Amino acid sequence: MMAESKNVPMIKELSKGIFESNPAFVQALGMCPTLATTTSATNGLGMGLATLSVLVMSNIVVSLIRKLVPEKIRIPIYIIIIAGFVTMIDLLMHGFTYDLWKTLGLFIPLIVVNCVILGRAESFASKNGIFRSILDGIGMGLGFTLALTLLGAVREIFGAGSIFGITLWGDAFNVFIMILPPGAFITLGLLIATFNWIGISKKEKAKKKAAIEKAKSQKVGDAA
Amino acid sequence: MKNYLKMGIVLMIFAVIVAAALSAVYSITKDPIDKAELNFKLSAIKTVLTDYKTGKLLISESDVPDSLEKLDEKIWKQTDEENLFYSSQYKAYVASPVYRFTLEDGRDAYLVTGGGIAYGGYVKILASFIKNESGLEMFEIEVLDYSQETPGLGAKIAEAKPKERFFNIPEQGLEKGLKVDKDAGVSVKNTKDFIENEKKDGVIVTSDIMTGATITPRGVANALNAMYEYLKNEIGGEE
Repeated sequence: MMAESKNVPMIKELSKGIFESNPAFVQALGMCPTLATTTSATNGLGMGLATLSVLVMSNIVVSLIRKLVPEKIRIPIYIIIIAGFVTMIDLLMHGFTYDLWKTLGLFIPLIVVNCVILGRAESFASKNGIFRSILDGIGMGLGFTLALTLLGAVREIFGAGSIFGITLWGDAFNVFIMILPPGAFITLGLLIATFNWIGISKKEKAKKKAAIEKAKSQKVGDAA
Repeated sequence: MKNYLKMGIVLMIFAVIVAAALSAVYSITKDPIDKAELNFKLSAIKTVLTDYKTGKLLISESDVPDSLEKLDEKIWKQTDEENLFYSSQYKAYVASPVYRFTLEDGRDAYLVTGGGIAYGGYVKILASFIKNESGLEMFEIEVLDYSQETPGLGAKIAEAKPKERFFNIPEQGLEKGLKVDKDAGVSVKNTKDFIENEKKDGVIVTSDIMTGATITPRGVANALNAMYEYLKNEIGGEE
């Protein structure tokens, strides 16, 4: 895990969740909903947004109470808070987004045990102030949503020939396996590889740049 | 000891606060949830009373229930027990209540909710049976709950095409007991006449459009069998 320090700029708290420590693609957390609910782009987006809202709210509350919570019972308290928010989201979705609620079904209550949420409560919100915790929650939540939507979109395009329910080529060309569990594993594997490749090539570029800078400054030093 | 007591109290306080917040959200969402459930039910009822070929509603527009009270007026049979009927032969049930609508042409339509064992528990359907002079016809079905079926395989049952394969089954076919084509051992020809003809023998052709998923349509067929058995006894008893 990365070091949480007060010196990190605010914007970094937000952006780190999307790319460099994306919960699904880089940290490989919350794999159960990632694999199971992403049969279409809409499902992935819905699940991601539900997780995002729980994550932001639980981060806020955990950060607010971080000084009141006795060390030994912090985990049960976090779980009570998270379970409370998840049940609220479940009720709200049941009432206001009925179709999505029906599709996601069992996976909404299971957000309680999504390790992204408890992970952020334990490793970030319980050690940082409220604003940083909100930014962290939004960043991680967006990263998770992005990952699920991307995964869902790829599976839907190749498995059902549509995206967000809009038909692209319909039944003309379908790789049926993409909708099934193996398709989830294959797509996730390829996406993780892509993310890692981007990360590695970025790092190498930075290294090269640093080396050039170093050489330059040495030259300047020599000349002086 | 004192320490443990303190921890217990802190935990309890958190639990009480969360419980209070939850009960507030529950009371806010109670009405919208009931409304959403009712709307879903009402739209399913309207769907199975609409001819899918012509898009024409079989009951008069003013007869379409738009509230729970109006729907309750249409109750034909109900029970306080869990189900109205359970068929151990088909492992399928008929849920309470069963509704009866009078169509514009004077025929009776029976709207039955029930379920049969599918791939992940029960697949729940709503079916409309119409009493014709020639007998009881299974008119249309709507799939209510298929949440446990595999996406891309069994979950296809809720799509229009597989559903249509169950539409318009004459009494002749119902009497024989519905089977999916794989169980009946027929070789499938994907022609309209063939599919319609097989319905008279109680054979539902789905294997050409629901490849790799026999169990889910079998669950629907069994639910329809239980419904037919129930209706046959009840309507027969009335006459």
